[in-house]
Amino acid sequence: MNKQELTAMVAEILGQMGLPEPMVKGSDYKPANPGPEQKENGFREGDFVPDVTALDLRKLYLQENAADKEGFARLKAKTPARLGSGRAGPRYKTLTMLRFRADHAAAQDAVFSQVSEDFGSKNDLIPLKTRCKDKEEYLTRPDLGRILDEESEKKLKSAVSAAPRVQIVVGDGLSSAAIQANAMDCMAAIRDGLKARGIDTGKAVFVRYCRVGAGDAVGDVTGCELVCVLVGERPGLVTDKSMSAYITYKPHTGVSESARTVVSNIHAQGTPAVEAGAHIAELIETILRKRVSGVGLHLEGAK
Amino acid sequence: MAERLCSVGLDVGTTSTQLVVSELTVENQASSFAVPQLQITQRQLRYQSEVYFTPLIGEGLVDGAGIREIVEKEYARAGICPGDVDTGAVIITGETSRRENARQVLDALSAFAGEFVVATAGPHLESVLAAKGAGATDFSEKTGKQVLHMDIGGGTSNLALIENGNIMSTACLNVGGRLVKFDEQDRITYVSPALKELCKLTVGQIATPEALRPVAKLLTEALEMAAGLREVTSLLEKLNTREAGDVPKPPAERVVVSFSGGVADCIETTRGWRSFGDLGPILGEEIRKSRLCQGQYRLGDHTIRATVIGAGCHSVRLSGSTVFCRNVRLPLKNLPVVQVTSAEQELTPEELGNLVESRLSQQDTDSVLALPGFSSPGYHRVVALAEGLSRGLGGRPAYVALEQDMAKALGQAMALRLPKEAGIVCLDSLKLSPGSYLDIGEPVGPALPVVIKTLVLQQ
Repeated sequence: MNKQELTAMVAEILGQMGLPEPMVKGSDYKPANPGPEQKENGFREGDFVPDVTALDLRKLYLQENAADKEGFARLKAKTPARLGSGRAGPRYKTLTMLRFRADHAAAQDAVFSQVSEDFGSKNDLIPLKTRCKDKEEYLTRPDLGRILDEESEKKLKSAVSAAPRVQIVVGDGLSSAAIQANAMDCMAAIRDGLKARGIDTGKAVFVRYCRVGAGDAVGDVTGCELVCVLVGERPGLVTDKSMSAYITYKPHTGVSESARTVVSNIHAQGTPAVEAGAHIAELIETILRKRVSGVGLHLEGAK
Repeated sequence: MAERLCSVGLDVGTTSTQLVVSELTVENQASSFAVPQLQITQRQLRYQSEVYFTPLIGEGLVDGAGIREIVEKEYARAGICPGDVDTGAVIITGETSRRENARQVLDALSAFAGEFVVATAGPHLESVLAAKGAGATDFSEKTGKQVLHMDIGGGTSNLALIENGNIMSTACLNVGGRLVKFDEQDRITYVSPALKELCKLTVGQIATPEALRPVAKLLTEALEMAAGLREVTSLLEKLNTREAGDVPKPPAERVVVSFSGGVADCIETTRGWRSFGDLGPILGEEIRKSRLCQGQYRLGDHTIRATVIGAGCHSVRLSGSTVFCRNVRLPLKNLPVVQVTSAEQELTPEELGNLVESRLSQQDTDSVLALPGFSSPGYHRVVALAEGLSRGLGGRPAYVALEQDMAKALGQAMALRLPKEAGIVCLDSLKLSPGSYLDIGEPVGPALPVVIKTLVLQQ
């Protein structure tokens, strides 16, 4: 059987199966008969699959023939955990697998993506950078992420005339997505909250390739009484947009980690950015009054 | 870290008066690295008084001095003094829930002023408290079943329809054990006006089981109608109490019926028909034989004490833990709710200001503005809302309650727009419906305890 005969035979068999004829080399593939629409999921060939990340995990219940579907759904509404996924043989279902990979990819992207170039200037922040030259170095050299590069140090020095009481630092940290989603709303609420309490804040800064410790370096330069670092948290599979605030009284390079007060889980499904900001403003007032942050503040509270 | 609140519930009903003392445990449920989240984690009953007959001067008029004596005696027995009490609720229920009675009781308890955050009455709240006190809401939440709770008391039955632990609607019927009373010689001494046209019983007549049974049957049928187990006739409307408003809408599907109240004790336990000199035992027997008990039904964890336990343990709840409060002396009592809808809160600050101004000026007293708020809003939204609300206040104190978690941000944004001495309370995680009233207590940690009421006494 030569090649031509073979092609003809395949075409015939496919024709009998009711499938469109195979693609003719070099021409656009336009099936003469697209076939009946698939009713099961409503897709036709060539359609995009739906966005698996748009599904609400708290509502997604894939177990077939459940004894008490509503009962499980009620419990599931309380957690974003991947429960009630059902199975395909010994494996996950396709949807579960795709969603897991999509969330994992989003988490990785949040780490590797950059906060946009004009983020600092657009939001009236002094744009600074640590000594890391790129993301790769940032991830492998935490020590460099705590030190400002020379140019940034100079820029900051010239921008600050008098030491502010409170210095706000926005840093990309491990999630650029978290910062773009939350930092500015949170900072606006912190500023208004401090203003209402008569506490002045200097001009805020944005630090690229920022670790929490970079706030200490900013403290060294500005001589601020307190630094509040808004930084992207290491993303997880639930959200890639979670931000933390690290507040340090009398920040300076080498300050103990136990001197930091942290407010974590700032994101739309956790504490909303504006509400967290208002809370942080009050916390800052307390820390300034008691002149201590971190573990010391807890001990102070227990007295 | 747990904080404990001492809460007192006092229920002055048609028949009985009871008092309970409970301890509410408030704990921070968030990790120490997150914004605090205070919750009432435990509601523990510490003391239950005996069940007193409500002291009356004449028919239906409560003896305030008698109530006061009971409270004093029971405080002593429970080993508490007025200063120990953080919160609580007095409820004046059923047929006794008349304005003059309420005044009597409140005046008599004025020496205990300050300790009771609430003094309230009304069938809606009563239904809610009874359903919670009897454990019907917990049962519904745990099982996911739709439950119709009936608190069958002396003068009235308070109904609450519950879905997934949430109370969907309430109703109140003139169905109770003491609508007919008789003395030791079985001579009928009282027939409730609610039974006019519905029975031939008259005062002075000798009561027999045969004479009482038709009334009990009729009352039971009304309950069946309310539960959707019998076709609704005009009977249901006739027995509907005026204060509760609409005739109860029967649930469409078969529900689990749950019982509390004094009559509930006569459902599974057979008692002599003369045990209490009233209709109760026979009514209980009729309910047991009725369609109400043919499907799944349950007796409350507490029966005759359900309402008072509800008042003691469940009347208080906590606001969200990030709130704003400045220049305001707490507790605040009886703030009427002025609603701002989700469409209205999106108006421009000018429009919203005008709207708030006109709504508030229609109120005689300081009111609380209730808004849905926005879920995780941008700060510009907070600012716009603060601007609009501040404009509309016109020198009145700012009392704001939101559903969404944003009160602290809104409160501080308003503080920047109002005079330094302006009173501001901004709370969230609260859903208030129009026609309700709010009490706000002194802070518990960062949160504020509140009581939402539906009917309030005239000042």
